[in-house]
Amino acid sequence: MAFLDNSGDIILDAVLTDTGRLRLAQGNGSFKITQFAFGDDEINYGLYNKNHPSGSAYYDLDILQTPVFEAFTNNASSMKFQLISNVNTQLLYLPVMKLNTVDTEGTSFFSNASLSNTYLLPTPADYRNLSSSAGVLNSSPNSFDKKIVIDQGLDSNETDKTRLLSSVDSSLTETTFLIELNNNFVTLVDTLGNDIPLSYVDDDGIATYSVSYREGSTNVVSLLTADTSGDAGSSTLLNGTRDKRVSFKLKLKTDLTINNSLYERFGGTTTIITSNDYYYIDTFVTVKGATVGTQITIPIKIVKSV
Amino acid sequence: MSFKTFTSADIASTRTLLHEVIPLTGTVVSGTYADNNIKNYTHGMFQSVYDYPYLSSSANHILDLTIGYSPISALSSSSATQNNKKINIYNQMAQVLMGFDVTGSIQKFDQDGNISTAGTKLNECVFFSFSRLLTKDEIKKGSFTLQFLTGGANTSPSDLKTISDYGATNDYRTNSPAGEFGILYTSSATPNTNSGVGLVYYQAGIAVLTASIFNGKFGPRSDTSTATGSINTYFQTGSISGSADGLRNRLYNIQFNNSTELNSSIYFCRANHNEFNYSSNPTYLSSGKITVKNISTDAPVSYITTIGLYGADQSLLAVAKLSEPLKKSVDNELTVRVRLDY
Repeated sequence: MAFLDNSGDIILDAVLTDTGRLRLAQGNGSFKITQFAFGDDEINYGLYNKNHPSGSAYYDLDILQTPVFEAFTNNASSMKFQLISNVNTQLLYLPVMKLNTVDTEGTSFFSNASLSNTYLLPTPADYRNLSSSAGVLNSSPNSFDKKIVIDQGLDSNETDKTRLLSSVDSSLTETTFLIELNNNFVTLVDTLGNDIPLSYVDDDGIATYSVSYREGSTNVVSLLTADTSGDAGSSTLLNGTRDKRVSFKLKLKTDLTINNSLYERFGGTTTIITSNDYYYIDTFVTVKGATVGTQITIPIKIVKSV
Repeated sequence: MSFKTFTSADIASTRTLLHEVIPLTGTVVSGTYADNNIKNYTHGMFQSVYDYPYLSSSANHILDLTIGYSPISALSSSSATQNNKKINIYNQMAQVLMGFDVTGSIQKFDQDGNISTAGTKLNECVFFSFSRLLTKDEIKKGSFTLQFLTGGANTSPSDLKTISDYGATNDYRTNSPAGEFGILYTSSATPNTNSGVGLVYYQAGIAVLTASIFNGKFGPRSDTSTATGSINTYFQTGSISGSADGLRNRLYNIQFNNSTELNSSIYFCRANHNEFNYSSNPTYLSSGKITVKNISTDAPVSYITTIGLYGADQSLLAVAKLSEPLKKSVDNELTVRVRLDY
């Protein structure tokens, strides 16, 4: 996509997304715009210079000069980051999501240094050989298998760890999370290994699952406990006020356990994992809070021995 | 995520007509590309004109030319070349553009468009069917002009005549099954029931001219045979494609404005002072703290580059991008007007 001309008046470039056109073509009334949101995908707030020597008028000079792309028609490529409405103008901290690599039920990334910051999802046959390594997930999971654990809350030690976020500012708490993944490769299962109902799959094969907090439940979405005993670092990596935990597992699609063609089309082969050749496909899972919109993307490497 | 629901006051529908000027010079239809932009078909029923040699993928179809006469025309004869096809063309055009009478018979093209009277019928006609690429939704009324060299020999045509739908902005007919149509007059004529020389169908993008406006020797420019005579002679003895060649040979200029009907939905995306002041952009936080603030009493600020329009299930149906970031803070309110055209 090209940049929009920003030399004159502000112009607005509006397009229907591929999903919009699909709904329009279906002619069943599913194309109905009912709400809107603002996004700022191109903005790097790191350019906001609060210490600019020329004064506050220059704080956001670099941001305002950011060139903006033409509109993408792919529904999955736009509106990655939305603006948030919160009537409290005195917020100094916003919640983040952090991958929990310290909880006993979770696991850190794959222990191979060359593949740092990646989870490995081998076929069930390959899992037997690789399961002793950290960061290896069972692609046909049972209740006792390791899971992906994500903690949500404030991450500054300037915030009160001894209280939960709901008691500090309930407007920042999340109750529903959206989990997006590539439906061609994996499906989502809960921590007991049960399938989670799919919300919808878009035209690009990206599946969205909606999971919500239920009081007392520890399956998928649970409430973190406040740090009254100094457990930060041993149960979570959040440094501040805690809110929710999202835990889930991934199940590999059957095609990928028996068929090499998808690996050849979407991935390749590697010897990095062990000295043996492995087919691999790189994919990712995105977890997004439905209220504040905080999100985290987790890289997954699906592998199958050649 | 902060979705804001539209109220009925935030959505408006409008209808706008866009017009473009379409000039077609005679050299495009005969000369510029040495007829490599002219496509004839084995069935010989019509001839297509392109704006570039038609074997090129860059070529656009601009119009089709054909001729025909009614079964009661004096030209109709079993010995006439392509007699049935010429009648078929006339009948096809007439049934689509003029329709049928109460007995189910095809109406003839009428000089003044008044089919309820026994006025003059146009029994020998030439037809210009313009591509939808040019006419879009319709030809703008009162803008259609044809210029022909109507006299002289076919090897050196002369006598330029301008034919137009004079006055059609406020005077046109609606009794055609193909939509609205206007009467074509020559520039020298006083528009009345007896001076029309053709009809132009605005929505169909078809112009019908009576063959009688050509009074010179008619035929392709290259045809120097002594057999070349009046248009009536050529209509009988020549092929449809040969007559189309003759028409192109005499065409000087065509110009009209097209119209595109734009139906728009306008969405007013309103951001109040206390809305959309924070961001979920990962760069908005540094070590969990809001980047654009030093202390909690600093006003939050965000920058809008994108507007997403969503369905009730939060599926992204349309996207609008601003050409530059718009600052949003507690001390301002914004209304972004997003227009979707259909």
